Amino acid sequence: MNKIAKLFITFISALTLTLTSITSSFAKVEGDMIVLGSAISLTGKYSSNGVHTQNGYNMAVDRINSMGGVKVGGKSYKFEIIYYDDESNPKRAAQLAERLIKQDGVHYMLGPYSSGLTKAIAPVTEKYKIPMVEANGASRSLFTKGYKYLFAVLSPANQYLEVAIDLAVEKNGGKGVKIAQAFEQDAFSQDVRLGILDAAKRTGSKIIIDDKLPKELNDMAATLAKVKATKPDVLVVSGHTKGALTAIRQISEMKVDVPMLAMTHCDAAKLSKQHGKKSEYALCASQWHKNLSYKDKFFGGGKKYDKDFKKEFGYAPPYQSAESSAALLVFKDAFERANSFDRDKVRDALKATDMQTFYGNIKFGPGGQNIAKPMILFQVRCKGDSCENKVVAPTKWASDKFFHPIPPWSERG
Amino acid sequence: MGKVKQKDLILYSGLIILGLAAPYLFSAFKVQLTYLCVLIVLAMTWNLQGGEMGYNSFGNILFYGLGMYLTASVQVGMFFPLAEWTESGGEKTFVHTTAQYFQGIGVGLLVAAIIPALVAGAIGYAILGLRGHYFAICTLGLGIAAGEIAGGIEIIGAGQGFTTPPFPAEIVDPEARGKFFYFTSFIVLVLAFIFVKYIYGSRFRLILNAIRDNEDKAEAMGIQTMKYKIVGWMVSAFFCGLAGGIMGGLIGYIDSTDVAFDGREMGVFMVLMAILGGKGTLWGPIIGATLFHFFKEGLWTFILGWQYVALGVLIVVIVIYFPEGLMGWLREKYPERFGEVVDEKDRKSQVELK
Repeated sequence: MNKIAKLFITFISALTLTLTSITSSFAKVEGDMIVLGSAISLTGKYSSNGVHTQNGYNMAVDRINSMGGVKVGGKSYKFEIIYYDDESNPKRAAQLAERLIKQDGVHYMLGPYSSGLTKAIAPVTEKYKIPMVEANGASRSLFTKGYKYLFAVLSPANQYLEVAIDLAVEKNGGKGVKIAQAFEQDAFSQDVRLGILDAAKRTGSKIIIDDKLPKELNDMAATLAKVKATKPDVLVVSGHTKGALTAIRQISEMKVDVPMLAMTHCDAAKLSKQHGKKSEYALCASQWHKNLSYKDKFFGGGKKYDKDFKKEFGYAPPYQSAESSAALLVFKDAFERANSFDRDKVRDALKATDMQTFYGNIKFGPGGQNIAKPMILFQVRCKGDSCENKVVAPTKWASDKFFHPIPPWSERG
Repeated sequence: MGKVKQKDLILYSGLIILGLAAPYLFSAFKVQLTYLCVLIVLAMTWNLQGGEMGYNSFGNILFYGLGMYLTASVQVGMFFPLAEWTESGGEKTFVHTTAQYFQGIGVGLLVAAIIPALVAGAIGYAILGLRGHYFAICTLGLGIAAGEIAGGIEIIGAGQGFTTPPFPAEIVDPEARGKFFYFTSFIVLVLAFIFVKYIYGSRFRLILNAIRDNEDKAEAMGIQTMKYKIVGWMVSAFFCGLAGGIMGGLIGYIDSTDVAFDGREMGVFMVLMAILGGKGTLWGPIIGATLFHFFKEGLWTFILGWQYVALGVLIVVIVIYFPEGLMGWLREKYPERFGEVVDEKDRKSQVELK
């Protein structure tokens, strides 16, 4: 009996000691470091985009730190990020956000990858009044919850492919078109779907196929069989990186002829590289493209960012990386304008952000979404065997004409 | 006998005091502690089938997810139109008052306990006739199917997910939410423990064991095995539903396959924890869940990106070196402590034989 009691006391005191020492070992600003926290998908279904996001963050941290850091109160500070792996799981993400804030003492957060995970983290950051600049949560419902500490550098998801429908209608002589659509069952893709529904209503188009696809999208043959039978004017597919790869693979295997194919995540999936000519003519929504003419002093312009990123990570930056880098530029700018580490002052400074980065203009609307930057559409075009993404809309940046309709497979080499 | 009871009393009161003091002692770890309580409840109730009854169920996640959706739906539905709350895009904002929030979650948890239990009864009636691997595979399907179905039901948010009501803003203390969920989960844990402990001292457990050891003989002895199997599963479902309801409120966002019917993680974890600690024992799942949680929280961040590899190695180690779990291993090493009478001569002769 005595033994048990003693054991208990030792156990508890040991536990208390270790846990309390862990809690106090971090702080928001340590020496000349500003510590940011982020839960990132390094494993699981979003792992490839999670890594794009992380690379974007790291690239910006290195660049800002090497170019003088963040100047607050006459002193220069450097950024540092604590990462955890959220395993592409919202439950884990919420838990890690709590952990970053409570145990690691993080006072400023960077967003995770995907809308679903951002949805899970936002209530936590909101509760503790932690400003979060996120670059990869585009779902519209994030911006209608009245969150005060959430800032997104990207355009909301419902805007992704609306323009594509407008283009299709324009090519159809202003008359409504027949739309076939297939979306993964996740927060982001379902929001893209809402955008299409709005666009269809607005243009008097008809939706003839409206499929929901499972997560971890590896097969959409059933949808494509229907497309073959019903011959729609536009096929819209959205399901993150895997969705884009699966769609192209199966469309080319099944030789599905459709005049227009609109998708998301083409550049994150490196479609033009992985599938080459098979992916030609795919129309893709993107938050950013290297050919855009925006500039800032850290990364220069889009083309320079593209070059530097390639040098550091060995692949062309998808927009997920670009927007992630931009998130840090926003934080730096806000810290310097607030000239303080007070969370509410930083938050107010974030709210008042109005700047240009290599990624685009950034200004936050009342819900926290970026309202200063349009979405762009690019089309995969090939010369011989090398394929490239060419911007086709909006016209201001278009480098190529939108090619329509897609020639049938029987005529493609 | 009296002596043993006194010992137990000290142990239990010590644990309860620890449990009550924990959120104040380790204030920063409240969320992890809540997870721990929930994990223990899941492991303990899984053990009723997997350990005591010998029916390895991968389907308990069904009740967990069901409880999660039910709690959130009731909490919202009692005061606001559920369809508008979950409507994709969520243009409208509804705010629960403090009273509404707690009433909602209270009723929600009650529903989340009862309905999964009833569902378990109904499903159990249909599938508990299956044995061994067939039962395991069948229940595995249940969890997966439920996730896909939930992902298609618009009124609970479908693929968009379901944002559960935020903790009332009128309560200013940022710690209040953590405390509330911790104590709720702790109460559920204590209830579950009392119940399981009671079962361990009853004839019911012996019947479950008889089913595990030889179901045909048990039937031949006049035990209506089906009845007991169903009741056993309903008990598990009751607590799984409660655990799910709490987790839904805590996480704040329900996704059909990643949070609610999360067979890939929670569904596997509950089995793993029970086996790690030693299935078929009262304390095994508790110890297993605690160790597992510490392992996961402590180690995983140091091996970023490799945590699942480490988990795989852990599973292999458990299966090879502790096939009976930690409790089983201890039992083999120190049988006296478990009240087993060991014949010294017999033990010696065994040693000599080697």
